[in-house]
Amino acid sequence: MTDLAPRSRGVIGLLEENCTLCMLCARECPDWCIYIESHKEALPAPESGRPQVRNVLDRFAIDFSLCMYCGICIEACPYDALFWSGEFAYSETSIAGLTHEKDRLREWMWTVPPPPAHDAGAPLPREARAAGPGAGPG
Amino acid sequence: MDLPLPRLGGTRAGVALADAGPGPEGSGLGGGRAISLRVFEAGLACCAVEVSAALRRFAELAPQAEEGAGPPVHVLVVAGTVTDKLAPLVREAYRALPEPRLVLSFGACSNSGGPYWDSYCVTKGADQIIPVDVYVPGCPPRPEALVEGMRLLLDGVGAAS
Amino acid sequence: MTAAEIMAEAAQSLPAARCAAEGTTVTMDVPPEDWLAALSFARDVAGCDFFDWLTAVDEQDEGFAVLVHLYSIEDRQHLLVRTLIPRDNPVLPTASGIFRGAGWPERETHEMFGVVFDGHPGLAPLLLPEGFEGHPLRKDFALAARAAQEWPGAREPGERRAAERSRRRLVPPGVPDGWPPP
Repeated sequence: MTDLAPRSRGVIGLLEENCTLCMLCARECPDWCIYIESHKEALPAPESGRPQVRNVLDRFAIDFSLCMYCGICIEACPYDALFWSGEFAYSETSIAGLTHEKDRLREWMWTVPPPPAHDAGAPLPREARAAGPGAGPG
Repeated sequence: MDLPLPRLGGTRAGVALADAGPGPEGSGLGGGRAISLRVFEAGLACCAVEVSAALRRFAELAPQAEEGAGPPVHVLVVAGTVTDKLAPLVREAYRALPEPRLVLSFGACSNSGGPYWDSYCVTKGADQIIPVDVYVPGCPPRPEALVEGMRLLLDGVGAAS
Repeated sequence: MTAAEIMAEAAQSLPAARCAAEGTTVTMDVPPEDWLAALSFARDVAGCDFFDWLTAVDEQDEGFAVLVHLYSIEDRQHLLVRTLIPRDNPVLPTASGIFRGAGWPERETHEMFGVVFDGHPGLAPLLLPEGFEGHPLRKDFALAARAAQEWPGAREPGERRAAERSRRRLVPPGVPDGWPPP
């Protein structure tokens, strides 16, 4: 069969370590298919000052029965926690099985391909331009 | 906290399976048992194009009826958005199928209403009106995804008998 | 006919029409009483004999704008004919006497907006199921699903469920103010 193109949109993987619970993906999703639940935890106070409070991710689920693979969540995420993968063979016999929880979304990260090379003549990304000469590919 | 880092560029067995051709004799769809298949496509919207592409490939995977294949299994592939106006016709198509019959829901719209879940005239999934055996996710799913969905569907048939 | 010729001819035959040319399209705004005259002019004089589509736009307080897109295959000229009808009495003569192809688009515009086309042979619903109430493409027809379903994005970071009263009440896009009604 055909080889998968570099930016094939098959399934979405989550790198939980990068997620800061900004909720942008859940808000921008046109299908309302990203479910995020979290709670606040207080870290022990340092020598001075009050205890730090951080958000802890309880649940991150994507309902692939609703998902229309637009990629808005991946583009909206400011912290590179969501990635495209080309995997497409995940049919289920029950529709509940199409809602992938965060452990299964982490599994998809193993299938995320390396980013394709820049097109010839493409401008450098903003970060490489800011880093000065010598940065960027090639 | 030690967490395993993902290996970029790895492939899963699932992709390799989809790339496999007909394979050795008897190892095709249905878990090695010869199955005669009749596929009825309810091509309601864009997913119909992908099903057409897949069914052409399907014919290569299982070219002709084999001896001893038994009575055909009828599969209704619902591909596309099920609107409220068309829902009774989809139900009639299912009722008109003779037994044994299976239903494969292809694409987000027929799985759950998909991107049109909030519309005023869309049935939120074919399983609202007919029983569905396999759901193939995608918008639209690749033609290869239909082949994989069929494998899952027919493996159930092979296991049941 | 070219765009300039159409506009010159319209100035003579349809004095109440206001024409504007933009790119390859001439837009002609006519009052409702000149609707059939404008369509006959477009087909017979301007040579725009290809009927493309007919639809309406809910202009809210101003009423409903009904638009017809016509095309001249020989001259490659687009013509958009538009009229504005009042919201409390949305009636317009049918275009299906001049363009047979307007029959079904008028049925769709009738069920989606509630515009009545006088003289139409059969203004039955086309796309909506039987028993559907309301006119869905009017701007005051809210999508009930968006207001009834809990929006996953309404949760703030660090919440399990969306707070009933939060500092800023997050409303999903597409839900009008004050919906659902109390």
